[in-house]
Amino acid sequence: MLIFLDRLFNALAGEIDQYLVLPLLYHFGWMQWEELSFDWVLVCVYGMFAVIVTYAVCWPLEALFPIEHWNDRKTVVTDAFYTVLNRVGLLPVVSFLLFYQVQVWVNGFVVAHGYIPPTLETVVPALLGHPIITFFAYALILDCADYWRHRLSHSWRGWYALHALHHAQRQMSFWSDDRNHLLDDLIAAIWFGVVGLAIGIPPLQFPLLFLFMRFVESLSHANIRMSFGWLGDRLLVSPRFHRLHHGLRAAGRHSCNYGAVFPIWDIVFRTADFSAEYPPTGDRRAPESMASGGYFAQQLGGLRFFLDEIRAPSKKAHRGS
Amino acid sequence: MHTPMKLSRRAVLGRSLAIPLSLSLSPFMALRSEIANAATSSLAIVMNSGEASVSVIDMATRKVVRTLPTLREPSHWALSQDRNKLYIADASGNALFIVDPHTGTALGHKVIADPYQLGFTPDHRYLVVNALRLDYVDVYHAEDLSLAKRFSPGSMPSHLDFSPDSRWSFNSMQGSGTLVSFDLTTMAIRWKSKVGSTPAGVLWHNGKVLVCVMGSDHVAEVDPVTGDVLRRVKTGVGPHNIFLSPDGSTLYVSNRIGGSLVAMDPTTFAIQRTYPFHAAGPDDIGIAPDGKLWVTLRFREQVAVLDPKSGTYETIDVGRSPHGIFLSSELSRKGPITAEAL
Repeated sequence: MLIFLDRLFNALAGEIDQYLVLPLLYHFGWMQWEELSFDWVLVCVYGMFAVIVTYAVCWPLEALFPIEHWNDRKTVVTDAFYTVLNRVGLLPVVSFLLFYQVQVWVNGFVVAHGYIPPTLETVVPALLGHPIITFFAYALILDCADYWRHRLSHSWRGWYALHALHHAQRQMSFWSDDRNHLLDDLIAAIWFGVVGLAIGIPPLQFPLLFLFMRFVESLSHANIRMSFGWLGDRLLVSPRFHRLHHGLRAAGRHSCNYGAVFPIWDIVFRTADFSAEYPPTGDRRAPESMASGGYFAQQLGGLRFFLDEIRAPSKKAHRGS
Repeated sequence: MHTPMKLSRRAVLGRSLAIPLSLSLSPFMALRSEIANAATSSLAIVMNSGEASVSVIDMATRKVVRTLPTLREPSHWALSQDRNKLYIADASGNALFIVDPHTGTALGHKVIADPYQLGFTPDHRYLVVNALRLDYVDVYHAEDLSLAKRFSPGSMPSHLDFSPDSRWSFNSMQGSGTLVSFDLTTMAIRWKSKVGSTPAGVLWHNGKVLVCVMGSDHVAEVDPVTGDVLRRVKTGVGPHNIFLSPDGSTLYVSNRIGGSLVAMDPTTFAIQRTYPFHAAGPDDIGIAPDGKLWVTLRFREQVAVLDPKSGTYETIDVGRSPHGIFLSSELSRKGPITAEAL
């Protein structure tokens, strides 16, 4: 089944690349990207599949076991826009192109100074030839890196002002995972760029495993009264576990449950909260435009909030209330 | 360097402790038999760029007999002077994988920066590596792969070839629209020539340099002394790579936008035949002793075995985004064996 899907998606990506993307690159004189265009289309095809599967699984669950009932879903629609923008690859591709030369310069600089970024398999040779174990090793390490990125974003006022866009949503659903400020996304990209220099990029031969992890992240934001049980909640981030992170009390500097996929890092670093609660979500301090505005209003509101916060250095850092 | 083969044998040995001896030996015997068979029949070694693996195909049975793991993104190859080591470039894995070209077994790997396209000079003094992601052209001493010289000649170094006397290297710069020539005796850039949008495949041919101009519809013929473009030969939309058949009778050009392979007269450059590959992304080729073309299909996870006479082809499933291909049937042939001059 997985091999069938993989071949189907490759054939579909090949058709799109051959008849749509490559002619466009050729027409505009951008053929230097042809080597990557097939990968981009493949990301789009897999991303589209992931969005459809996420919707097909989460929407009925939200309908059957909702935590909250909403009359107006305008802000949910905006979140869906974020998801499509990210998951079908448009935003990642544009970012890649915008910052391509920076990547070339940074990677070229470190190599010129005698540092060739390793991979986990070159550091731990026993991993070579065991791609699934390698994948999970990368997943755990990158999840740990993301835990600290996320935790630090709650620690510094200016950074949190950007991250508050993610927390401002009062109608949190499975669409909310990608609701982020562009500058917050940029910081995350730099963060993982640095991690990549240290341990290399993860192997990409298991796109479906990668998508499963993204699915867990989407599900963890869903408006579903669901936990995975005592053990399950400690193995994978569940909707209940992550909702505690988005609760009104946890918005800001003193939060909990920072993990994106694996709760292990919250357990290890003592920030885990396994309370059986489904608190209301949102951030009372965030400007209303960040909660209920459209895409551009949210981005602009986040930028203003960020500037306000960094211009007021003497103000006490926000504490969740 | 480490040897993945040792791991495989250790795994086999581990299994033998848990089950009866007669059964426990069978995987090991099968492995030995597989390697022995592979040594006697020719192999096609295919680099799967999108799947961090190399598929080893028995050319007689058309079956994948082994899949070797690499780090991230195997793309192209170069053969050692003694023909006992096939170096496979793994760009984002920052490594050269070394495979026994006779048996298709892994021999280890060597860490170097971003090898994308590579080639030994005909005298096997240097290994020249295009580091596409880093905008470097790196020249390594062939004997120990130590870095001799690093150039920053332009954006996205792509393909390369050499003059037969090993003095000059010709490297296409995909992002700069230039062909750059290096003097490997003085380790200096000789010239940079604007050949057109997105140059890719490069081939030394009849005292001239041919370069595929992928952002256009032609191959440019370049004077190797001056870098002047002498003429432009239409081949189809988006020519990507160019190869010469072992008997020198045919030039083959893969067209990225056109999705086709064209056969050309090597003297007049007249197109003799076009082979369409529907949205399959034909890329690199190898030519078997029976005259059949083994073509990697980037968008299809397949290798096509094309009969150039009938124009029909059969396919073999491999990994995602198959890129470079090496045929071990080439090993018995005299003269230099490179990815372009087949």
